[in-house]
Amino acid sequence: MKVVHYLNQFFAGLGGEEAAGTPPQRIEGAVGPGRGLGIDVGATLACGDDYFGEHEDRALTELGRFLDEERPDVLVCGPSFGSGRYGYACGMLAREAARRGIPSVCGMDPESPGVAAAEGAAYIVPTSSNVAGMREALPKLAGLAARLAVGEELGPPEAEGYLPRGLRRNEHAAASGAGRAIDLLLAKLAGDSNTEVAASFDRVPPPPPVADLRDAKLALVTEAGCVPQGNPDGLPTIRARSWLRYSLADEATLAQGRYESVHGGFDVAAANADPNRLVPLDVVRLLQEEGRIGALHDWFYTTTGNGTPVATSVKFGQEIADELKEAGVEAVVLSGT
Amino acid sequence: MTALPTIATMVGANRVIRGIAITNPFGDPERSPTGELALRRAIVERALTMLETEVEPGTVWDGAE
Repeated sequence: MKVVHYLNQFFAGLGGEEAAGTPPQRIEGAVGPGRGLGIDVGATLACGDDYFGEHEDRALTELGRFLDEERPDVLVCGPSFGSGRYGYACGMLAREAARRGIPSVCGMDPESPGVAAAEGAAYIVPTSSNVAGMREALPKLAGLAARLAVGEELGPPEAEGYLPRGLRRNEHAAASGAGRAIDLLLAKLAGDSNTEVAASFDRVPPPPPVADLRDAKLALVTEAGCVPQGNPDGLPTIRARSWLRYSLADEATLAQGRYESVHGGFDVAAANADPNRLVPLDVVRLLQEEGRIGALHDWFYTTTGNGTPVATSVKFGQEIADELKEAGVEAVVLSGT
Repeated sequence: MTALPTIATMVGANRVIRGIAITNPFGDPERSPTGELALRRAIVERALTMLETEVEPGTVWDGAE
């Protein structure tokens, strides 16, 4: 049984955020968490989270080449826990492996973008959002991987402990659809809500374009965790439960030392040297002076988009949008990291 | 506006500009201050143009030509 393990730069021991630009590489045997899997790892593939995110095609080609050389029976990715970039890379790599007929097992927080990215190509074990879940996750990943490696077919998600992959298998049900629907409704009325088909991301059609921004009010919103220096309202670095609003009325620029980023999901050094790199106020003011936009809303909205559950993000979006609408804002520049 | 446009379109964003990098979507520390300001201006102008343009769902533009 040949197992290949994918890790990001941090878990592969190559460094922290400063090594996030590391291109794909192969390391003999097991590394870091791979040693805790309890199964024989033939080779470990590592790649920096930023390299993958910014050079996806190249990363997948290089990693794909390693997979072709190694020819594993199964690919294990992570666990990546709540990490957005790492989880996404794991999901996309699982798809790449699937194209080669290689099954994959991943471990991540169910809210990770890696789940959607995998598009059902991987068996994903749900984990905690942080590394504290490592001891619990590793044996689960190893268990599924060992069975997949010998060609065993796994049972349904609830039975085997992986996330639903969005695949449907046809089988005969004992009762008719009408009967089953009534049963679900009666159960819901009794307080037990279940669904056989889960909801996906909400799709909103693109709003019509602004006729002419020279007459319109623009607003700046960010999830880059940009706040006044010292973070006076204590915006969390991760798992923010709220958004904040700060006045731009007297500001022509987001000056170094007056603003900073408290986002815990990326290296904020460049952003802190010049916060306009996250929220481009200096340029927006220039364009405003030149009349390219009618007005800039006096408030900018900020939160930390790091490990934020989808439901919370949806709520933030609705609340901020309500305020913007109330203020007559017609267009928003939203910066994400 | 993000360096990870695939994630943005996956969750339903419709007008997306590809940022320079995760750590600095609207900037480039490798450039001189004037060069960087010009770059940021170009990106923001692209964003404003996109706001004034009819698009299909999940459209991604590059930040600068």
